[in-house]
Order: sequence, then C-alpha cells, then structure tokens
Amino acid sequence: MSNSTGYTVPGVGRIDEETIRTAGVYVALYGTAALFLVPYAWMLSTSLKPEELVFSTIPHWIPQEVSFQWYAEAVAAAPLLQWLFNTTLIAGATTVIVVIVDSMIAYSLTKLDWPGRRVVFALIMGSFMIPIYVNMVPLYTLITDIGLLNSPLAVILPFSSFPLGVFLFVQFFGDVPDEIIEAARLDGFSSLQIYTRIVLPLMKPAIASLSLFTFVYTWNQFLWPLIVLQDTAKFTLPVGVVTVATARTFQPGMKMAATFLAALPLFVVYLILQEQIVKAVQMQGTTG
Amino acid sequence: MSTLDKVREARTSIFGTTVSRETKDGIVFALPYLALFSVFLLYPLLKGFYMSLLDWNSFQPAQSEFIWFENYVRMVQDPMFWRALRGTVVFVVLTVPTMVLLGLGLALGVNREVKGQRLLRFIYFSPYVLTVSVVALIWEELLAPEYGPINYYLGFVMENPPQWLTSFTFAMPSLAVTTMWWLVGFNFVILLAARQGIPEHLYEAARLDGARSWHAFKDITLPQMRPALVFVTIVQFISSFQVFGQPYIMTQGGPGYATETLVMYLYRMAFNDGEFGYAAAIGYFLFAALVVISVVNFKIAGESNE
Repeated sequence: MSNSTGYTVPGVGRIDEETIRTAGVYVALYGTAALFLVPYAWMLSTSLKPEELVFSTIPHWIPQEVSFQWYAEAVAAAPLLQWLFNTTLIAGATTVIVVIVDSMIAYSLTKLDWPGRRVVFALIMGSFMIPIYVNMVPLYTLITDIGLLNSPLAVILPFSSFPLGVFLFVQFFGDVPDEIIEAARLDGFSSLQIYTRIVLPLMKPAIASLSLFTFVYTWNQFLWPLIVLQDTAKFTLPVGVVTVATARTFQPGMKMAATFLAALPLFVVYLILQEQIVKAVQMQGTTG
Repeated sequence: MSTLDKVREARTSIFGTTVSRETKDGIVFALPYLALFSVFLLYPLLKGFYMSLLDWNSFQPAQSEFIWFENYVRMVQDPMFWRALRGTVVFVVLTVPTMVLLGLGLALGVNREVKGQRLLRFIYFSPYVLTVSVVALIWEELLAPEYGPINYYLGFVMENPPQWLTSFTFAMPSLAVTTMWWLVGFNFVILLAARQGIPEHLYEAARLDGARSWHAFKDITLPQMRPALVFVTIVQFISSFQVFGQPYIMTQGGPGYATETLVMYLYRMAFNDGEFGYAAAIGYFLFAALVVISVVNFKIAGESNE
C-alpha cells in the first residue's frame, strides 16, 4: 500500500519517513497501553505482598513471597459477599425493570395511536438531560417519606425511571415497518401478542445492548447508593469497599485486596463480553 | 370501511370512559414507565424547586418557612459556593481538553493498521467498566508520597517529588490524571467508531490528488468526525462538571478546600448540615448552568461549521 506513494518521490527517503512514523505510532500506542496496566499491576502486587514489602520505599512489583493474608483479612473484616449480593440484586432488578417498562412504552409511543402520546413523548425527551444531583435532595425526602431508606428499592426505582432506554427503543422501534404490525392486527393479534411475538423478537440486539449498559451502569453507581443505603449490611460493593479502605487500621495490603475483590466481578464480565460492552457504549454515540 | 378500520373502531373502556381499543392499549402499555417517571423523576424535579424556596427545618419539615429566592441570594454571596465552583471549573479545564485529545489520538492510532488492535482496545477501555471507588483507591496507593511507586521513580529525576493528594498545587491535577485513566476509554471507543465510519474512498481520492497526510487529516478526518467530537466533548463536559467520587474518596475536598467541587458542596450542605432548601437551590443552579453550557457548546459547534 505504501509502495504506491513511493513512485512519485524519488529515492528511499519517503519510505523511511513512513517507517519512522509507523514505529512512532507503535511506541506511543503500546507505551500508553503499558502505562494503562500499571495501576492494575500495583493493586495486585500490593495485595499479595507481606507487610514489610508494602511499606518498603523501593517498589517490589513482583514480591519474592506471595501471601494471601490480606484477602483473608479483607473477607473477615467486611461482608463482601453480602455487598456483592446487594449490588447484583440492585443492578439485575433495575435491568429487568428497565427493559420491560421501556420497551412497553416505546412500543406504545411508536406503534399505537392514542391522544396525548406526542405530549408524553416530548415530556420524557425533555427530561433526558436531568442529572441525578438536581433531584438528590427532593428524591431523598421522597424515599424517606415512603419508608424505602436502606431498601434496595431506594436505588432500583429511581434508576428505573431514567429515560435513556425509552429514547433508544423509540429509535429502534421506529425502524420496524408499520405494515408488519397492521398485518398482524388484521390477523386478529391483540396488542399484547404483537408486542411479545413480533416487537420483542425483532428488538433482541437493542435489548441486549441496553441490558448490558444498564447493568454495568447501575452496578457502578456510587453517589446515590451512598446516600440512601446507610446500614453496613445494605451497602453495595462500590460504597462498602471505601469503608474497608478507610477503616481504623491503615493497611494498604488489605485495602488493595478488598479493591481487587470489588473490581473482579465486572472485570470478569468485561473479559467475557468485551465486544458487546463496547458496542453498547458506542450505541450511545450513534444515537446521541 | 376496511377491516383495519373496524379493528381500530372497536370500543372498550378504561377508567370508566369509553375509548377505542387502540387508545386503551396505548395507555396501558405506557403506564408502567409513566408511573416510575412521574413519581421518581418528575415529582422530585418539581418538589426540588419548591424546596429551594424554603428555609428548611430539618426537625419539622412541615414548619419550613417560605422565603422566596433567599437561598439563591445566599448562594451568590456564599464564598464557599464560589470556591466549590472554582474547583469544579479547574477540574473541567484540566480534564475536558486533555481527555478529548487523548481519546482522539488513541483512536486515530489504533485505526491505523497496527498489530494487536483488539488487545489495545481491550486495555484502553478496561478502566471504564470499573466503579469510581476501585479507581480512586488504586490511585491513592500509586500516588502515596512515602511508599508509592510514582514518587519512587520521580525521586531519580527530582529532589522533592510532590505530595500529590495533600498538596495545594497538585491535588486537583492528581484527581484529573486518575479520571483520565478511568474514563478516557469512552472517548476512545466513540471516536474510534466514528473514524472507522469514514468511507475509505474519500482518502483514496485525496491520495490520488497527492494530498499529504496532514491535509487528509485536516480536510477529511476532522470534518467527518466533527459530530462525534462534539458529542464526546459535551458528554465529557457534563461528566467532569458533576465530579464527586474522586474528591470525596481521595481528598475529601482538601487540602483546605483545594479540591472541593459543586456536587461535593451540595452533598455536604444536604447530608452533613441538613440544609435541604439551600442544597436544592444549588442543585437547580447546577442544572441551569449545565443546560446553558450545553446549548452554548452546540451553538459554537454549529457556527464554526459554516
């Protein structure tokens, strides 16, 4: 490919320039990648080395002796499994609710004609940009008033009300030809049958992307769970792991062990579903 | 009358009113989301504005006094508020341009025919799937002045490496670098998708015309990627503007108030001081500022297009 440019300019100089540039690109890309891996390496290394090496002024990236004592201490010091369960429950329930209610209303807004649907659609789209902190204080008083403080529902319900999924589904449903829906209706299909047998199967890729995005997004939330989940037993992993790290006895080894355990679940998900997660995030760019 | 019309005309009732079958179905399918939306998004939004007009009584909320716009007046006169706004602006300035450019550089690099594209993408994007707590805790250790690796290596090239998170000068840049590692993967994948979406024949035509790569970049790549660049800049801006977890975990707003940000100030006012009315006003100000900034961003992006 690069040979074709070589014809017009005499000599080897042009090719050298190209080679140098390519080498530069490789150095920059792989150098950056190496830097990106340093934080992981340091976390692992610190979590696996004995105390005297942790505070050593010379960094020991690969400790001579590996010890799992910090992991044992982290698991003993904090209900990490309980937090993992809480987080998974909250993210899972939010994902299920979002997929069901968002696809239902998107179907209604795009394929069913009813008075007021345009107003409703405009209202939902208008709230697209509302960030959580505007509603933080009034939402907190609401959650307290209806007795949901410390309940997983205090996170699940507000996070199920975000309009992102409605927005995405409306765009995808718009592509389903009306003729298919009308034909089904002529065949005597009810709206519910059209929704479950035609619309949902056609929407599988969009549903998969939105599910993945909602799950990861909810799983990683920090500020709102910090506010409404106040009992240690009710914490999510992101909130809980900070309390382990700032516990009275300062032990970087235990802190990094707990951090690694908190990062592990989603990292495994990322290892398995890398392509899909990247696609789910890129989807925002194309619709935004 | 066609069969379809007959189906449409079928009557049924909802809430005791007679309506067409389609209207009923439409409302029934919309209802579950609308209920969540009204209760947990719309209602708090309206209530928040009302609360921002109250002198909140945290012991007896019903006794709160209506004070019109005094909370907003107080905000303008509150030096702590301005300090938090300043901190937020500094963070935005440190992160937005750097992260957009870094994301663009990585995207253009990976888009070239390099070996290991998938591996590179995997690595650059990986921190994005982590929660802010994990990111913040790891970077606290990397930046630790006494035993952290960063200052060990800096020790070879300088006498006294910075105290990073406890330094007035370097605390905010430390948070910015942490954030770059965490979130630049988003800009990277969005911009990579945009670059890959540019039809190759545009470049082939330019190559036949003898265009050098700088011109191809300026005349083809940049204009073609413009919508994605605008999108990424606005998202980055909104995200940086509401920074909370990094300062909350890594510096608690310190040293002094060097890394205090608006959302942190709002959080402290509401949940440490019980000033719900004032905090609600700050929230509304933030929201208004964000809307204005987004509109200005769109305007600027639109104008320089012409």
